[in-house]
Amino acid sequence: MSEEERDRLERAIARAFRPQRRLSRRNFLRQAGKGGAYAAGALSLPAILAACGIGPATTSPAASTAASAGQSAAATPSPVGGGEPSGTLIFANWELYIDPGPNDDPQRSPTLAGFREETGIETTYSENILDNQSFFANIQPDLEAGNPPGYDIIVMTDWMIGNMIRLGYLERIDVARDVPNFGDHAADKYKNPSYDPDNLHSVPWQSGITGIAYNPALVDEEITSMAQLLDPAMIEKYSGQIGMFSEMRDSMTFALLYNGVDPTQATMADVEAAQQVLLAQAPHVRDYYGNEYTDPFSRSNLAITMAWSGDVFQLQFDNPDLRFVVPEEGAVLWVDNMCIPKGAEHPNDALAMMNYVYQPAVAAQMTEWINYICPVPEAQDIILQHADEAESAEDREYLEAVANSPLVFPTDDMLSRLHSYKVLDEDEERQWNDLFDEVVQG
Amino acid sequence: MATLTGRLATTGDKPPPERGLPLGARLRRAVLPVYTGLVVAYLFLPIAVMIAFGFNDPEGRFNYAWEGFTLEHWQNIFNRFPALNEAIKVSLIVATISTLVATTLGTLIGLALTRYEFRGRGPLNVLIFLPIATPEIVLGASLLAMFASLAVTRGLVTILIAHIMFNISYVVITIRARLAGYNRTLEEAAMDLGADEFTTFRKVTFPLIFPGILAAALLAFALSIDDFVITQFTAGRTSTFPLWVYGASRIGIPPQVNVMGSLIFFIALVGISAWILLARRNLSTAPPTRVDA
Amino acid sequence: MSGWLRRHRGLVPYLFLLPGGLWLIAFFLVPVLTMASVSLQEGSLGTGYRMTFNFGIFPEVISGSSTQLIRSLLFGLIVTALTLLIGYPMAYTIAFRGGRYKSILLLLVILPFFTSFIIRTISWQFILADNGFLLGTLKSFGWLDQSFRLLATPVAVISGITYNFLPFVVLPLYVALEKIDHRLIEAATDLYASRLQAFLRVTLPLSLPGVFAASLLAFIPAVGDYINAELLGSRNETMIGNVIQRQFLVSNDYPQASALSLILMIGLLISVLLYTRLLRGQELTV
Repeated sequence: MSEEERDRLERAIARAFRPQRRLSRRNFLRQAGKGGAYAAGALSLPAILAACGIGPATTSPAASTAASAGQSAAATPSPVGGGEPSGTLIFANWELYIDPGPNDDPQRSPTLAGFREETGIETTYSENILDNQSFFANIQPDLEAGNPPGYDIIVMTDWMIGNMIRLGYLERIDVARDVPNFGDHAADKYKNPSYDPDNLHSVPWQSGITGIAYNPALVDEEITSMAQLLDPAMIEKYSGQIGMFSEMRDSMTFALLYNGVDPTQATMADVEAAQQVLLAQAPHVRDYYGNEYTDPFSRSNLAITMAWSGDVFQLQFDNPDLRFVVPEEGAVLWVDNMCIPKGAEHPNDALAMMNYVYQPAVAAQMTEWINYICPVPEAQDIILQHADEAESAEDREYLEAVANSPLVFPTDDMLSRLHSYKVLDEDEERQWNDLFDEVVQG
Repeated sequence: MATLTGRLATTGDKPPPERGLPLGARLRRAVLPVYTGLVVAYLFLPIAVMIAFGFNDPEGRFNYAWEGFTLEHWQNIFNRFPALNEAIKVSLIVATISTLVATTLGTLIGLALTRYEFRGRGPLNVLIFLPIATPEIVLGASLLAMFASLAVTRGLVTILIAHIMFNISYVVITIRARLAGYNRTLEEAAMDLGADEFTTFRKVTFPLIFPGILAAALLAFALSIDDFVITQFTAGRTSTFPLWVYGASRIGIPPQVNVMGSLIFFIALVGISAWILLARRNLSTAPPTRVDA
Repeated sequence: MSGWLRRHRGLVPYLFLLPGGLWLIAFFLVPVLTMASVSLQEGSLGTGYRMTFNFGIFPEVISGSSTQLIRSLLFGLIVTALTLLIGYPMAYTIAFRGGRYKSILLLLVILPFFTSFIIRTISWQFILADNGFLLGTLKSFGWLDQSFRLLATPVAVISGITYNFLPFVVLPLYVALEKIDHRLIEAATDLYASRLQAFLRVTLPLSLPGVFAASLLAFIPAVGDYINAELLGSRNETMIGNVIQRQFLVSNDYPQASALSLILMIGLLISVLLYTRLLRGQELTV
């Protein structure tokens, strides 16, 4: 399966957008996985062939645990770690997801350099992850066959973590023993998430919000509620200028929230009702987008749209009037997580990395650049401190903007309204997909 | 009138003289060229937009609205994106090789189909036609599955294999229109005059069918350079230009991509023009084979 | 060597066919047949797939996606008609009036392909933007309603597909037109045919193999296209290619995706066979 590593493009793009001054403008990073519709899949064709007896002989590892619905029974029983790091770490991540060094080269990231200094571990960092599905498809054949996956630590979005746990593709970790900084410094919101109970397999890297963005130049009123996005009566006047996400989990969860349902408790009946909401809205929706909603949004083809916090943060440079809101019914908090694929060769080094980035100073350094939600609340004060110490007014302004932005450090009020996706097992996923397909395909 | 045609199709006929025609007729004669110009303009409109936006100076990362003129993206083109340089190189290599191979293989098939009798014509036609009818995603995914099951690392070679595969069909279909009703009298005449099969092919057949081959080759090259879906599945870690751009588009295509696109465009323009001019010069210095009626 | 060829004359066609044919068999037929067998399987990524000869999947996917199938066929027909209408005069001009500029004109036709189609499509998004320089200007003059839009409509999708396949059509048309013996046309006009009559009675029929090839090269990929629908259309323009892609990549429902792909392929095959009959016995590839 293809498409991994495909782009130092993003590193390159980051390079292009890095101005001469160090901290002035940010390229925000893209959660490409949110719009995985473009992803290359063909996930399990090798698996299919294997099942047919062609190719490396293996049986589906999760077959024995297929009965379990979302439990992590398929993972190795005992966690990795507890040993000495080997000195090498192979790290796969998304583009623009680490503070880069000179010339926008993530290999020379200050974070990685600091990591090397502190632990002696040399990191090979690749920005191969373009989106969840394609990257998963890339490593799945190896994971299926029990081969070393080629990476020690990867960053996947929460729902994909849930899937991989279900399929037995992730190593278990002992957070208390090997990643103590997580327990000490991470916000409670990120501990014991629904997709990975007790953080048995992963810890967050960065997080973000899927909310509603709108263009006040095109929209007369202030947007505060889901209804202003989903209720046909209210959006009629903006018909054809409404944007939704093609990522099933995002749109369905929005509809569930609109109906007042807690997404993590949603029953099939709730989901069907959510689908009805989306179907009723559909005639007014311009399109169901992946990452590229920013295009029509900035061209003023969209008045109101689902959006990601970091995108709008960045779009505001070109158009400061654009707004991003967490509606009163709620919005989605997604989390990208570090995890160790099954069969990784340097698990102790991976754990060392996980522990390292939860130091508040390191977290602050990363967030100053990445601009998505930091899982370490203490970083906020550190960034403010950096702002005080800043050399130029521009840097100070920028750092203050980052530290004070609710898009980077959401207020408790916002956090209380943010929800995670429901963890779906295979059957549920298929049913949700089928329902959503009806919405998306006219 | 019964002379050997001997006319090299590549140089074409002379249009009838236009001077001396009344205005109405001249206007009528201008319709087609004007129309052609309009279509060419239509074809190039997005290209013009692309080139224009290479000079844009956006504030943020998005290059959607015109914000100011700058040349800075044109400086450092090659330093900015080493990955892009690599991707373009790969695209050009793949396109060149796959065009050569596919055109050769496809022409052979075309010749076989039009000149010889043999069994299995029907199934062969279906086999050639099917890759075009198959959705690209199926072509790509099925190839990926096969490579994965054979534990073949995906990379330049697998991309080549895939491109040659789909190009063969396009070449055959394009070239058959040229070979249809192909007149073998010339060949027979040449062989009557003592030439063997190869010499006949080289000196008679090939030059006559060359325009068809050229058209097919151009199509194959363009298809290969621009292919996205199938390449996506068979590229592994390698990047090609469309893949690179696609990845870029997910974040917001920076002006550098426009610049690169423009550059590639200009290079292609210059390169192929040069080649055509050279080819024409060779033809015109060749010993005359025209027999004017 | 040539003596050997003469003795084994019968083998020559097969020799010519062998390299290309083998390539297609190895790298097209085998993978696709494997894919086809997937359509008859049932299961999932987690539980593995089993061959159950589930022929029932075919009626299932046809009825489930009938809207998109019909829409794709319709779009394909429109695109083919448009590309032929636009491309034929162009090919004619290049072939008959091109003179020294033939190759250059052909080059111009194919040159846009040398930039990534994504860039081209995004450029179209810019050109067709609701309030961009084109529509915005027209709207400001009051010639267009403020809510008028081209993007996310069938018009944009069809235009996009037409644009992408125009070169595919011009090339085979040119090839066929180019080889027409001009003396036949001269003969017709000598026999008092008007230029129009000469065109209709001589040129056009002689160019039919090219028309045939061109329409195939437009229709078939147009029906299966999904990129234009994705980038320029809305949900109401979902084509069968989008459905297949979604099944493949998002739902990971390989049996469904494979079954749909098979349906598409067979549907196209049948369409082409019918079309071939219509054109009276033109072989698929002559």
